[in-house]
Amino acid sequence: MFQGLTFEPFRLPEEAESIRGEVREFLKEELDQSVLPNSDFNAGDSAEFSRKLAAKGWIGMTWPKEYGGAGRSFLERYVVTEELLAAGAPVGCHWIADRQSGPLLLKFGTEEQKNRFLPQIVAGNYFFSIGMSEPDTGSDLASIRTSATKTEGGWLLNGSKIWTSYAHTNHFMVTLVRSEPASENRHAGMSQMIVDLNDEKVVVTGIKNLAGEEDFNQVFFDDVFIPDEMVVGTPGNGWEQVMSELGYERSGPERFLSAFRVLVEFAREIGNDPSDEQLALLGRLSAHLVTLRRMSISVAGMLESGKLPSTEAALIKDLGNSFERMVPEIIRLAVPGAASRRFVDTLNECILHAPSFTLRGGTREILKGVIARGLGLR
Amino acid sequence: MNEQQRLIKETLHRLLTDLCGSDIVNQAEAGQFPQKLWDTLTETGLTVAGIPEASGGSGGDFDDSLLVIREAARFAAPVPLSEHFMAGLILSDHGASIGTDPVTVAAGDFSIDEQLRLQGSAENVAFARWCHQIVLVARSTSGLKLCRVNCADVEIVANNNMAGEPRDSVVIDVTLVPEEVFETDDAVLNKIRLLGAVTRCMMMVGALDSVLELSVQYSLERSQFGRPIAKFQAIQQQLAVLAGEVAASTMAGHAIVSSFDQLDELDIAIGKARIGESVSSCTDIAHQVHGAMGYTMEHSLNHRTRRLWSWREEYGNEREWQIQVGKAFLEGGADNLWDTVTNRR
Repeated sequence: MFQGLTFEPFRLPEEAESIRGEVREFLKEELDQSVLPNSDFNAGDSAEFSRKLAAKGWIGMTWPKEYGGAGRSFLERYVVTEELLAAGAPVGCHWIADRQSGPLLLKFGTEEQKNRFLPQIVAGNYFFSIGMSEPDTGSDLASIRTSATKTEGGWLLNGSKIWTSYAHTNHFMVTLVRSEPASENRHAGMSQMIVDLNDEKVVVTGIKNLAGEEDFNQVFFDDVFIPDEMVVGTPGNGWEQVMSELGYERSGPERFLSAFRVLVEFAREIGNDPSDEQLALLGRLSAHLVTLRRMSISVAGMLESGKLPSTEAALIKDLGNSFERMVPEIIRLAVPGAASRRFVDTLNECILHAPSFTLRGGTREILKGVIARGLGLR
Repeated sequence: MNEQQRLIKETLHRLLTDLCGSDIVNQAEAGQFPQKLWDTLTETGLTVAGIPEASGGSGGDFDDSLLVIREAARFAAPVPLSEHFMAGLILSDHGASIGTDPVTVAAGDFSIDEQLRLQGSAENVAFARWCHQIVLVARSTSGLKLCRVNCADVEIVANNNMAGEPRDSVVIDVTLVPEEVFETDDAVLNKIRLLGAVTRCMMMVGALDSVLELSVQYSLERSQFGRPIAKFQAIQQQLAVLAGEVAASTMAGHAIVSSFDQLDELDIAIGKARIGESVSSCTDIAHQVHGAMGYTMEHSLNHRTRRLWSWREEYGNEREWQIQVGKAFLEGGADNLWDTVTNRR
């Protein structure tokens, strides 16, 4: 019997739902009303906001208590993150540490690393970046050239990483490097190392994106010394580590909510006197959104039960990103005549960031390749 | 899907593989009712699952009936499973029962007078010519009445949808016995509309999944330039899009099944809008992958795609349901839009 990709229906348990009201209350209080909300996880950052979130116990909330976490379920975290995004909270500072670097250290890190970093992430004191892409390495991650050469008590790092969001303000970067020369097995000989972004030999240069913002960077290493204890887990384990990060990275609400505020402002704009055309459009997009969310929650349920549904995760990201790209493009044509400043600003902001939606975390072409593999085509 | 449903699904597949091949679908299109298929499906008791036994149902769970409707559509089964299930539910609501002979539902313009003379007509009555009875709603001076009419007493003009499925015109002028007339109200009309949409959603999900399966299979079998076309990135990317749309449709279908007990109107509206929308790109990709072969009557892809093009129009196309969804999401105002989203569990 043909088995396509399976998304079993899954309902967020009451314990997860029960946190929702508290998060909404907090956001109502803490969000700066003078800043136009933006549901793109990469479009706003505030260390102050992240620290307040930390004080509520909502960073690293799924991690064990011994490392400062709250031992909450993955599904409770799901509710917190989707509420943050939907409200357009500035989550940029802690986002990667909470979603990716912390779980990575929990799974692969040494005891010393867990003790040193996790409590600080939970407290909102340490923010992390991802160091994977390089100037000549995008989708083909195994072609990285940044090298770590063994030296007394550690490694000497040379090369450069690119598109590293918030490297100029964050504290550390988990960096994928080649710790052995490239061999026939392209996936062997790679390691991940924790780089202190304040090290004076690490040079961070901002890159302006097309929206005029400098949130991503190129990071250069010139004989940067990395002590042995900053190698994540064991040397040579890098490829396995980055692959395991992707399931969590690809199926979350940030993969279909980036354009959500456009939908909200559209609803505000059509207000009390919508045409059938506008209602149909709002209905169409809402039907997409609700369905995507149900799929994403289905995967969250699988992750919670210990499965690693990487094909399903890739599919959510691809479908979700297509939705995010579609929203501003069709909504802009549905508000004829004089639109409000607020609507236009939200729309334009989304259009300017939209090209990044289908690039970050795996391009749509790579994702479709993963799905095709899941279908047995490759 | 639980273990029991998995078992039901496997049993159905064996049964449908035996009794509902392309030849049966083609013969039905040429006018022949697949009696054996109908009898065998009815004997499983699954076609009226969830309807109380006192009303002729087999008890159990609605999920099973919806599963049968979905899986039968995977095989383009040319039998009125959906209509029979709908009629069974409506009759049971009114204290009446249903048998094993197929019964359909008509939505048209009917009136009934005090002598129980029923007059009126309806278009697009599914499978009327093969059914034993028709269930319909008629106006009267004392409110709406639910009526059950023997097809033998009805003038039926054969008409087909673009999939070659009977969608007949019926003209009725008959005096009913009191046992076939039931008091009802406005709610029944909406219930028929919702049940019609639910069953079309199940049918589309089944057919869409089959379209994906056929396309994947064909791409692995068909070679060009010395290798299976599945090995070309252009084809892989198309099939990935198809898989995404099918997965989304399946999930929208699951949501309807989960809330079927309450017949959640918004979940149904979301489902009919979302699943109906996917038909366009899915059939486009499936036919492109199948090339000219898929454009022939001989290849069974058309049994699915022509049905999808028909079913997305039935009981309200995407636009009608999108407007309903749009109204529901606008109701609480822009700042409550998110709350409406998260209330969809």
